[in-house]
Amino acid sequence: YSQPFPNMSQLSTALGGLSGVPELEMEALMPVNLLQERSLLPVRPLEAPEPNLSSELKKVNCSPQTFRCTLSSIPQTQALLNKARLPLGLLLHPFRDLQQLPVITSNTIVRCRSCRTYINPFVSFLDQRRWKCNLCYRVNDVPDEFMYNPVTRSYGEPHKRPEVQNATVEFIASSDYMLRPPQPAVYLFVLDVSHNAVEAGYLQHFCDSLLDNLDKLPGDTRMRVGFLTFDSTVHFYNLQEGLSQPQMLVVSDIDDIFIPSHDSLMVSLKDSMELVKDLLGALPSMFKESRETHSALGPALQAAHQLMSPTGGRVSVFQTQLPSLGAGLLQSREDPNQRSSSKGVQHLGPATDFYKKLALDCSGQQIAVDLFLLSSQYADLASLACVSKYSAGSIFYYPSYHHVHNPAQRDKFRKDLDRYLSRKIGFEAVMRIRCTKGLSIHTFHGNFFVRSTDLLSLANVNPDSAFAVQMSIDDSLVDSSLACFQAALLYTSSKGKRRIRVHTLCLPVVSQLSDVFAGADVQAITCLLANMAIDRSVSSSLSDARDALLNAVVDGLSVYRNTVSSLQQHGLVAPDNLRLFPIYILALLKQKALRTGASTRLDERVFAMCEFKTQPLQQAMRMVYPDMYRIDTMSDQGALHLNDTVVPQPRLLHLSAERLSRDGAFLLDCGSVFYLWVGKCVNEMFIRDVLGCPNYASIPPNMTEIPELETTLSARVRAFLDWLQDNRAFSSLFYVIREDASANSSFFQHMVEDRSEMGLSYHEFLQNLLQQMSK
Amino acid sequence: MATYQEFIQQNEDRDGVRFSWNLWPSSRLEATRLVVPVSCLFTPLKERPDLPPVQYEPVMCGRANCKAVLNPLCQVDFRAKIWACNFCFQRNPFPPSYAGISDVNQPAELMPQFSTIEYIVQRGPVTPLIFLYVVDTCLEEEDLQALRESLQMSLSLLPPDALVGLITFGRMVQVHELSCEGIAKSYVFRGTKELSSKQIQEMLGLMKPAASGQQGRPIVPQDPSASCRFLQPVHRVDMNLTDLLGELQRDPWPVTQGKRPLRSTGVALSVAVGLLEGAFPNTGARVMLFTGGPPTQGPGMVVGDELKTPIRSWHDIQKDNARHLKKATKYYDALANRTAVNGHSIDIYACALDQTGLLEMKCLSNLTGGHIVMGDSFNTSLFKQTFQRVFSKDYNGEFRMAFGGTLEVKTSRELKVSGAIGPCVSLNAKGPSVSENEMGVGGTSQWKVCSLNPSTTLAMFFEVVNQHNAPIPQGGRGAIQFVTQYQHSNTQRRIRVTTVARNWADAQSQIQHIESSFDQEASAVLMARLGVFRAESEEGPDVLRWLDRQLIRLCQKFGQFNKDDPTSFKLSESLSLYPQFMFHLRRSPFLQVFNNSPDESSYYRHHFVRQDLTQSLIMVQPMLYSYSFHGPPEPVLLDSGSILPDRILLMDTFFQLVIYHGETIAQWRKAGYQEMAEYENFKQLLQAPLDDAQEILQTRFPTPRYVDTEHGGSQARFLLSKVNPSQTHNNSNGWTQEPGAPILTDDVSLQVFMDHLKKLAVSSSA
Ligand SMILES: [Zn+2]
Ligand SMILES: [Zn+2]
Repeated sequence: YSQPFPNMSQLSTALGGLSGVPELEMEALMPVNLLQERSLLPVRPLEAPEPNLSSELKKVNCSPQTFRCTLSSIPQTQALLNKARLPLGLLLHPFRDLQQLPVITSNTIVRCRSCRTYINPFVSFLDQRRWKCNLCYRVNDVPDEFMYNPVTRSYGEPHKRPEVQNATVEFIASSDYMLRPPQPAVYLFVLDVSHNAVEAGYLQHFCDSLLDNLDKLPGDTRMRVGFLTFDSTVHFYNLQEGLSQPQMLVVSDIDDIFIPSHDSLMVSLKDSMELVKDLLGALPSMFKESRETHSALGPALQAAHQLMSPTGGRVSVFQTQLPSLGAGLLQSREDPNQRSSSKGVQHLGPATDFYKKLALDCSGQQIAVDLFLLSSQYADLASLACVSKYSAGSIFYYPSYHHVHNPAQRDKFRKDLDRYLSRKIGFEAVMRIRCTKGLSIHTFHGNFFVRSTDLLSLANVNPDSAFAVQMSIDDSLVDSSLACFQAALLYTSSKGKRRIRVHTLCLPVVSQLSDVFAGADVQAITCLLANMAIDRSVSSSLSDARDALLNAVVDGLSVYRNTVSSLQQHGLVAPDNLRLFPIYILALLKQKALRTGASTRLDERVFAMCEFKTQPLQQAMRMVYPDMYRIDTMSDQGALHLNDTVVPQPRLLHLSAERLSRDGAFLLDCGSVFYLWVGKCVNEMFIRDVLGCPNYASIPPNMTEIPELETTLSARVRAFLDWLQDNRAFSSLFYVIREDASANSSFFQHMVEDRSEMGLSYHEFLQNLLQQMSK
Repeated sequence: MATYQEFIQQNEDRDGVRFSWNLWPSSRLEATRLVVPVSCLFTPLKERPDLPPVQYEPVMCGRANCKAVLNPLCQVDFRAKIWACNFCFQRNPFPPSYAGISDVNQPAELMPQFSTIEYIVQRGPVTPLIFLYVVDTCLEEEDLQALRESLQMSLSLLPPDALVGLITFGRMVQVHELSCEGIAKSYVFRGTKELSSKQIQEMLGLMKPAASGQQGRPIVPQDPSASCRFLQPVHRVDMNLTDLLGELQRDPWPVTQGKRPLRSTGVALSVAVGLLEGAFPNTGARVMLFTGGPPTQGPGMVVGDELKTPIRSWHDIQKDNARHLKKATKYYDALANRTAVNGHSIDIYACALDQTGLLEMKCLSNLTGGHIVMGDSFNTSLFKQTFQRVFSKDYNGEFRMAFGGTLEVKTSRELKVSGAIGPCVSLNAKGPSVSENEMGVGGTSQWKVCSLNPSTTLAMFFEVVNQHNAPIPQGGRGAIQFVTQYQHSNTQRRIRVTTVARNWADAQSQIQHIESSFDQEASAVLMARLGVFRAESEEGPDVLRWLDRQLIRLCQKFGQFNKDDPTSFKLSESLSLYPQFMFHLRRSPFLQVFNNSPDESSYYRHHFVRQDLTQSLIMVQPMLYSYSFHGPPEPVLLDSGSILPDRILLMDTFFQLVIYHGETIAQWRKAGYQEMAEYENFKQLLQAPLDDAQEILQTRFPTPRYVDTEHGGSQARFLLSKVNPSQTHNNSNGWTQEPGAPILTDDVSLQVFMDHLKKLAVSSSA
């Protein structure tokens, strides 16, 4: 006997309200003596904690890769949250590439009449014809159409509709969701062609990559493309179908930029394919002799804005230096002697509001600006980045880019472009995040424009950008056992369809502090704190931001020691699920974005800050605390078997030099960079079979890939590397570093548990925490 | 002794000079009483196939404010190797290279037949000629296609070493780079923004802008090859440019219903001028503007883009109702002056059914010696042939165009120069020969003539300054020297020197001699130039009144009559045709704006003030030839009496060639007699005027409008408006059996005009 309409809220109330602490929670709250416990890392990278929900709800809940909360059990009141002293917020990756996605075409998209929530697995059906909203509790009618289940082709089972069976669904929207006909995919490429750009030599690689990817650009037959180049002037390209060759139009009046031709600068790729190819073939050599050292980026962006305004779309800007002419020109603000100052760091914010204003203008016209900075000199990313931040764009940075001298950056640029050009894209998007009555969102992190309190304007949305939000509890949730969050992303697909992607996350509401602690998600907390600290370092100061991070861990552990842990332990204890909290905070304090003491170029620091704001959690965590493995002794024990490949799964190692040994080879995965550190006394077989060198001495100093060798060990190492690589959107740089190489320092700066110019060792840090807690 | 007719002809052939008087009154007072001033029409580069240039430089008088060139009028002491300047009487030693001269070994410039001589200057860099096309793209496709073809064709006509450039405009202005491979490149300017020459050169990358924060640093011109991106030798880029012209698109901006296209002629020209003045000052250069309509935006705008607002008419101008007229004229005037300073010239090829703003833009060509060509469409043989003729070559196979000319006038002491009227600007050269009494462009003894061809003719006016009580010694002569420096189309610098002299005569004792030395043709044209010059600044009726007064005074001075008896009035042979010229001048489009648009008036006047005497006379009084079975073709009176049924008339007004078939001829032609073998002579009669017209069409610049009409045809008005209305609907009545055709006009006939003139001339009260 099964109930035809299981009342989910009743069911979950029963489960959530269970008296007694479940085993899972017990485990999470087990005290760990940090000063004694030397091995805190799990064998394999940490997973998100499972919310304490019924198995039915767990089964349909949103994937933590898409939607994750810092507290997987929501405190009932703000008072309880305050008591816990842990941050409450969500981490979202709303448009990530999905293997499976239920797509629903339906005349009526069923939504709550009061709060406009989309029907989801966590609503309750009062009977066949009525459902109760899980966010505002209004009772709504079930429309007739919803009675039919297109999956089972049967009537009368509304709860079996895909909307109610999946926490992530996508609707094909009707014309109600359009203010104008959906825009076509429009791509404008804005290319720095100054002398500096020619020197850096990126154009050839850009053009090659675009030529390779022309047929992979997302879009339909309406797709349009255009090109702008600039140095001290701005150049447009007439690619009108029928011309025998592209026509370059130079506009020198950069103080009063204008569009020099009508209707022929943004062209149908289909119709003008040959001209586009001609242009891409010619561009790299066209500026070879250029002696123009100036950069009129601002005017070029103004031109891009004018050019794209009628349609909206994506502007991809490639810049190689500090803009020096026209609107938005910048002066160098970096003092190289202050790069390692442990005092404050200046100029983390923009020098001008030009780029922000332009971004807002773009956003208003549904234009997003993506920035590729390929600069060996300071280019004031803090100012430039605003053009992408506020227009929902992406930021890419290739420090010290040079097509000959820096092959690793060059290759990464190529691979990144391949991903960038072919990845999915959504246009003229808005994202609204709704949550259960009583909860409210107050701060957003990421690249977007906040249009209203819960609505983000995203001129473009891409699968690689994530967002974070901070929340507060306005009204007590005492009447609810569950809290729900729904992110709805309305966008135009590259094929010109309006679509709505809806994610709904369901979490239990708890009234006990211990339950709050038991549900704490240390990685989500770290990421949210990182975002908050970055905002703080710009709005206040870097030292304030660092203090706040330190306080967060002091507070969290104090509360645990004083109220949650019943054992009244001495020393420094943390609940098991937060045992990595101090180590992550220490790592964060030594991260490029927030560190002091070590020489850090301002642009690289700012880029790291930008990355924290947009990287999905897993990627961000690798930036904070990279994954380190010993790989010369990898075995197939515990390996994954994927298709024909055996992928070894070596265990994670703490980031300390004492975990290294001279007879080993260690892989450090920092997210966007891999380091393969090779000890002096490593097994010669490894050097031969994996690196393809006869002996240690012959390992070249600038090795950026490992050869494909027909040896078991090589196959194993490559399988592991490929597997790591496959699980991220953008390819990572790869450096082989010999123990005796000068490049060693870039590897050892990641050994965050050791004492360095950047700060205390982990042990000292714990002592410091202890001291702080006893104040 | 030769007749004056022969004397005048000889002088014209040798020196390109026609004087109003060939004996000069010896005092200021007597000169003013002659009414027609001492003046001449001078054709500086008159074609002289018999005059090979000499390969050395002129010898000049050493006096700093004289610098007259050694000429046949100079006294020479061959033994002492000294020559006396005939203008300032300074005695000058010959330069060392003249050591070998003697009575029997004289240099050419001393021989009387070399009163006009041309020197080749070897000094200075050789700079190629420059042709900069400025092309309007707001044209109908058919027009643009025709223009594309003409421009492409012209590339083969240019001197191969000439530099050529291309600017196109519509709503925007594009300067095309000609040296790029693979990708066509151009610089674009907003059509609404006035830019300084410096800004234009910076924007074209011809000079580096002062980097911000480095103000005060002088602007350094970039590598001179920078300008070569826009101006390239024809032989190097003709393929490239042919392709570029072939791809020339119509202006891409949409033009909504009821609007004119936005045409940025003003900015386009200022960019052209700015490009040249930065890169090639004082080099022979032609800016050639091809436009299909009026400037409608930006500086120099002539009319707004609203079609419901028509372009200004004479009526609007008289009512002070032409909104943009003053501003636009001022703008183009300033541009023209800048162009002239740099020695460049601007041609305007305006082809449209409506006006294109020639009134406002005319100074661009008038002050720089450029051509103005007006047509209905670029797709007409009128435009195509005219444009082709710009590049015509002379007997030496050299282009009939010269550049960067300066004309300097030196006078003997009794004479000063009052001014010039023609395609020139003043160089403001003060000196002893400059009269305070200005006529035309005066106050200077030097003028710049940026572009000239063998027919370019200036009117030069002089003042006799000799006082009444300081008589000229008997047999004394006054002399004038014209020194014309210019760049030949083969890029040589050349100097042509013409020295002329005329005898002084005492107007009291020798008035008959003076009267018989009167060149009535030259005088008519010279007075007409004065009239047209006045018409540019004065109201039409005032000019006519002035002309009438001068005519009456002349008739009073030289007519023979009894007081108050008009029937007794007689003029001597040397003045007999003069009143008739004035009659036709009064009716000409140069002074009558009725029935002409302001653009047409500007166009007609433009040509009138630069053509030589023969062409000018045709413009004043068109030629009429009659063809009949009764004998060979003959010139006939420009009179309605000449319009007969059995005649074919060919009228040449300079601007039009009209073939008119009399009533009977037209009927025969319609009946097709010319197709029949037995009427071969009729066929030949029909053919004769066509052949003659063809001959004129071959040589005339600009190509005249060709009209083939007949009795009763709508285009017969071209003829009827020109002939003297001796028979009008007012005076022709049923019973007078005078031959000819009555004209529907209220104009007075020549007879009425003459009667009136006689009455006024003899009147004792006048
Ligand atoms: Zn609701
Ligand atoms: Zn002298």
